[in-house]
Amino acid sequence: MNKDTIHEPAEHARPPTRATKTKAVTKSQEYAESIINTIREPLIVLDQDLRVVTVSRSFYEVFQVNPEETVGELIYNLGNKQWDIPKLRELLETILPEKTTLDDYEVEHDFANIGRRIMLLSARQIQLSLGKERIILLVIKDVTDRRDAENGLEKARKELADTKIHEDEAYEYSQSIINTVREPLIVLNQDLRVVTASRSFYEVFQVNPKETVGELIYDLGNKQWDIPQLRELLETILPQKATFDNYEVEHDFTTIGRRIMLLNARQIHRVLGKEHIILLAIEDVTERVDTETGLEKAHNELKTLSVELKRAALAKSEFLANMSHELRTPLNSIIGFSEVLYDETFGPLNPKQKSYINNVLTSGKHLLLLINQILDMAKVESGKMHLVLSQVSTKSLLYEIAMLVEDIVSKKKIHMSLEIDDDLPNIEADELKLKEILYNLLSNAVKFTPECGEIDFSAKKSGSSIEITIHDTGIGIALENMDKIFEGFFRVDTPYSRITEGTGLGLPLSRKLVELHGGELTVQSSGLNQGTTVRFTLPVHASGGGQT
Amino acid sequence: MKMRVLVVDDNINNRILETDMLQVAGFTVFEAENASQGITIAKNEQLDIIVMDVRLPDMRGTEAAKILRQDIRLQNIPIIFVTASVMKEDKKEMLGISNIGFIGKPINTRTFALEIERYWENAHNSSVFQTEEE
Repeated sequence: MNKDTIHEPAEHARPPTRATKTKAVTKSQEYAESIINTIREPLIVLDQDLRVVTVSRSFYEVFQVNPEETVGELIYNLGNKQWDIPKLRELLETILPEKTTLDDYEVEHDFANIGRRIMLLSARQIQLSLGKERIILLVIKDVTDRRDAENGLEKARKELADTKIHEDEAYEYSQSIINTVREPLIVLNQDLRVVTASRSFYEVFQVNPKETVGELIYDLGNKQWDIPQLRELLETILPQKATFDNYEVEHDFTTIGRRIMLLNARQIHRVLGKEHIILLAIEDVTERVDTETGLEKAHNELKTLSVELKRAALAKSEFLANMSHELRTPLNSIIGFSEVLYDETFGPLNPKQKSYINNVLTSGKHLLLLINQILDMAKVESGKMHLVLSQVSTKSLLYEIAMLVEDIVSKKKIHMSLEIDDDLPNIEADELKLKEILYNLLSNAVKFTPECGEIDFSAKKSGSSIEITIHDTGIGIALENMDKIFEGFFRVDTPYSRITEGTGLGLPLSRKLVELHGGELTVQSSGLNQGTTVRFTLPVHASGGGQT
Repeated sequence: MKMRVLVVDDNINNRILETDMLQVAGFTVFEAENASQGITIAKNEQLDIIVMDVRLPDMRGTEAAKILRQDIRLQNIPIIFVTASVMKEDKKEMLGISNIGFIGKPINTRTFALEIERYWENAHNSSVFQTEEE
């Protein structure tokens, strides 16, 4: 029932007054009352003194008021003054005198007999045509249930809203997590369509967000994501195992190239319903894997190289052993037979024959020296040269060597001075090797010094070492050749070197042998024809312990 | 006295050189060009000393030496290896063989016979030979 249907009969009604009751009035009053009683809405008619003129049946029913205690009574006194409601007073005494019409005036009141009620009051103040009297129509709509329902709804809605807020918060929260993590993250629904993706996902895989959300994951980036391994993970593995970590996927993306990804997948069931979502964290391990692969490759290459080096080293020493053997066998004949001939064991030779066979013998011995020095160099370089240490009487050894080269020195009319300090200590060394060093250096000095030149051979104590110096007035060494003289087989091309025999290995081998003893060998020359000074030290106590 | 020496070497030049040097020194020399020949001669002849190469066509000189040592009459006969294999590793295979000596090639023709004689003398003074340090 709407308000119009209420108002209309009320306007036509002619409410009775306690003072006058004519037939016409009675008739119209009856009519009005019948209307009043028909309408379901509780209705009350008050006179200008706010006393009840009449009420509808529904009023009595709804508010459980006795009709005998109602008509003629002040509205406030109804139901044992239950109706003395401040808001009603306000409506009737304050609002209505100013505004003759008021709708949906809400009044909430706790009635002693019927409990709390929420009422919507519509009021009409009607000026009766006769006289100055007014009546007030009051339609009272009990909206308690409706309001309660509405409140319930509102509450529900509010709760829902709250929930929504929570959901939003949770969503925002999770979204911010998703965007915060550096690892690309993608959320799929159960149809494998993208719900959301992290910023890093878009950045790393260069996919457009607009072409991502709502799309089937396989369709991303123009179907670049249709990866068989990914299909297997999402369609085969995940349905069986809700969690899967470190699933490696290698794929060649057209936009960003080959990538190796580690996928962590979580299938999460939503609390409500049977839906699930899939969280997919994608770690780009391309560089890491490449680095690891590179490292592994390098490691393997190194291993192979090391094996090859060992094999090469073995091959080298085998080669040297073979070479040594193969060269010695013919040399045995060359040197042996020429020596026997030279010695005239089986009969005399004429001077020419003797001279020639001496050349054969000398060349054979030179070749033998060369072989031995090459073998020694190889031994030193491969760490297989072992010193046989003993206490060496340095003074007598130096004199002995000087005597040994005396022949070739006097042949070239070279003046050699030998200067040995009195306090020169004996040293711990390999005597044979030391002789070899000294012989090499002295014979070099003789070879490269012109006739009537000078050689100074001296030895002194120097700290915990001895220092031996061989100085000559020979051809010297050009600055640019200073390094080459230690490389082996380098022989300074001079008029003297043509007439002298040499292997070019004496100096480098001597230096290596000195170093093997823990000493140092240096060569100085002011330049060509400025002479040469070779100086080396040997510790009094061998530091090498006899090992390389 | 005349020492009876067996020279085992497949290289004819080396064999001639060694034989000549020993004969000049007054030794009676038997020659073999491989190990098997050498073993046969050693078993048939009353030898004082054996001079043998290591790299022989039919077997290693060291293997031949071990075979000889199994013969009771040849258990203590001095064996001198004359070899061009002079590197330390080459001497390893000689370990465990008693009464042996070592001379590297090329030989010194002036001292060769003397060295052999010295080995023989030492073999009579003590039953165990020391290999010469390289």
